[in-house]
Amino acid sequence: MSSTSVYPTPINAFKQSKRSVLSVIVDNEPGILARIVGLFSGRGYNIEALNVTVVDVKKNLSRITIETLGEEKVISQIIAQLEKLVPVHSATNLANLSESYEAEICLVKIEFENEEQDQKILNFADIYRSRTVQKRQNIVVYEISGTSERINKFLDDLDTIGGIKVELVRSGPIGLGI
Amino acid sequence: MKDENEFTGADILLKALKDQEVDTIFGYPGGAVLPIYDAIFGQNFLKHVLVRQEAGAVHAAEGYARSSGKVGVLLVTSGPGVTNVVTGLTDALMDSIPIVCISGQVPSHLIGTDAFQECDTTGITRPCTKHNYLVKDVSKLSETIHEAFKIASSGRPGPVLIDIPKDVQFAKSKYISKKDISFREHRIKAGSKNVDKNFVEELVNHIKKSEKPIFYVGGGCLNSGHQASHELIKLVNKTNIPITTTLHGLGCFPGEDKNSLGMLGMHGNYEANLAMNKCDLMINVGARFDDRVTGRLDAFSPDSVKFHIDIDQSSINKNVKVNFHTNTDITLTLKEINSFIDSNNIDFGGKDYSNWWGQINEWRKKECLHYEQGDEVIKPQHAISRLYELTKQRDTFVTTEVGQHQMWAAQYYKFSKPNRWITSGGLGTMGFGMPAAVGAQMANPDSLVIDIAGEASFLMNIQEIATAVQYKLPIKIFILNNEYMGMVRQWQELLHGSRYSESYVDALPDFKKLAESFNAVGVRAKNIAELDDTINEMISIDRPVIADIWVDKKENCFPMIPSGAAHHEMLLSKYDKENPENQEKGKVLV
Repeated sequence: MSSTSVYPTPINAFKQSKRSVLSVIVDNEPGILARIVGLFSGRGYNIEALNVTVVDVKKNLSRITIETLGEEKVISQIIAQLEKLVPVHSATNLANLSESYEAEICLVKIEFENEEQDQKILNFADIYRSRTVQKRQNIVVYEISGTSERINKFLDDLDTIGGIKVELVRSGPIGLGI
Repeated sequence: MKDENEFTGADILLKALKDQEVDTIFGYPGGAVLPIYDAIFGQNFLKHVLVRQEAGAVHAAEGYARSSGKVGVLLVTSGPGVTNVVTGLTDALMDSIPIVCISGQVPSHLIGTDAFQECDTTGITRPCTKHNYLVKDVSKLSETIHEAFKIASSGRPGPVLIDIPKDVQFAKSKYISKKDISFREHRIKAGSKNVDKNFVEELVNHIKKSEKPIFYVGGGCLNSGHQASHELIKLVNKTNIPITTTLHGLGCFPGEDKNSLGMLGMHGNYEANLAMNKCDLMINVGARFDDRVTGRLDAFSPDSVKFHIDIDQSSINKNVKVNFHTNTDITLTLKEINSFIDSNNIDFGGKDYSNWWGQINEWRKKECLHYEQGDEVIKPQHAISRLYELTKQRDTFVTTEVGQHQMWAAQYYKFSKPNRWITSGGLGTMGFGMPAAVGAQMANPDSLVIDIAGEASFLMNIQEIATAVQYKLPIKIFILNNEYMGMVRQWQELLHGSRYSESYVDALPDFKKLAESFNAVGVRAKNIAELDDTINEMISIDRPVIADIWVDKKENCFPMIPSGAAHHEMLLSKYDKENPENQEKGKVLV
């Protein structure tokens, strides 16, 4: 960040901003996602990625995983605000657990034009152990999972191949304390 | 097929309200709540107060709740009925006031069709309630209502809304009573039930070590109940520690007690703010380090060890980092501190903090609330002082609007008991005070209820004077009339070069005639000679009274910590022009 910018940037704003993955257990009821998203937008927090799924049909529970950016003080405040929401059972910063596992899934559709590109794609797919979902004449669809960082790298590598067309979808990270 | 154990949704609502011991409801009818109004027609346990606009209903419910310690209840129709209460719900959320709002909704099958008087009620009110519900199934209605009351009144209290579509009001189901409902604990957010012994011991040890301690007490103490005040008074008497309260903490500790430093913050007392700035131990009891209290954060009480008792986890370390905290209820915690001191025979080694009190008494000599009352024009401060002197022998409830008059009321009216002071602090809602007075008078029919008002705020919900007249509520509206939005004018004077842009209230009504046209009583004091007689006359009339008190038009509210300044950078009067360099920075703040 240049200090000569015409828009002065508060020095503290980006100081200790770091990525956190929050895991939130909630009653699966109407409006719960809106409550959480509204809390983030209303209080000026970031949502980098979001994942919501029912995890216990009998107890009617959903797990919501949120990737967010902020310094530690902000993350603690987000957790405290989340835990004030009536349908929220618990909110946990995975980074605060002694051990946790994180994963993300990504589907990538790649359109290529020639054999050389196909070979390079195949090569990266092999290195990253991505699974072929579908392969047609000049289109291949891969499924890759792992940490978000690993997927980022895979996508960066694909980027080095010129002339291909990539379309993708990512689940956002999900995680579990162990 | 008729089942005698089945009731309509409207009847279930009434049964649940009775079960919750609700005796008063503020409301305004409309298409989507007609079945409920029909049920109200056929019963006699519940007194319905017909307001003149829904905003009046929600502030009245707030006034009722604040003055009684019970949950305030209101009933409004769909669409505009409920959008009119959004301000009041936000107000109750900011100031932690327990209210339950019942709103009608268009029939289920019309939801989402942009039907007449339809709006996304739960969507609109989600960020301004503690929780809200749309009840789609009548069999869930009883449980929902009981949970709503529980949530509104538990932990840090707040507003809860229940939206009931019209068809659900007609549909039938069994009624489940309060005692047959088992609440799911995670939904109630009641705070910890166990006293943190470690916190208590640390606190007592720090009090022993401290040379310059202070209690900083907020509205949380009020919400914890009267017992919290008793325990606080005991603890202050035992330790001789000075105590300052926030706007909402007024009354938790007797304002005339020798240990009271009065209110702190932007318009707080000099000695209170200086003591906060210089203390070495701060004991925060149910306050939230609000920006109106802390001033500039990086200069806020730099040398103190901070203890924080607050039932709301999110209030801890939000604005100010504290050294020790507990989320257990204030009453329980203070009780434990007192009994820990007693059972361990701690006498603090005869500690009386004489140096600290010596310093505080030096600050007191500044007489920060001093004003010069001349022979003619009434000073607004004097009007409040006289009102206090002439009413303090009674059990008086004071509500306010928002602005200079509110701050003067906080400075010059002294409260000795909790729940006697009802004001809009967090949101700062002009138009709050008069409907709140209606609610307070409903809850306390034999007490004197006064709305200390400014003429601009009063005009915002003036229609509610008709409610007061209809229900023979002898509320007193004490207007400090300076023909300005005084606080706006004050800021324009201090920060915007006295360019009084749109803060003069032109074309004011004649408040005396206005009162008469509503069948209320109007009285007026134009000068100092008329003041006491006017106040006495106002008190003596057993009907709603509007007292139009003409005060100095140019008076400003001091002391003042300008925005962006710190506690020790107070302006004491208009002659005090210290720290001008903060003004440009302060201008961008609120």
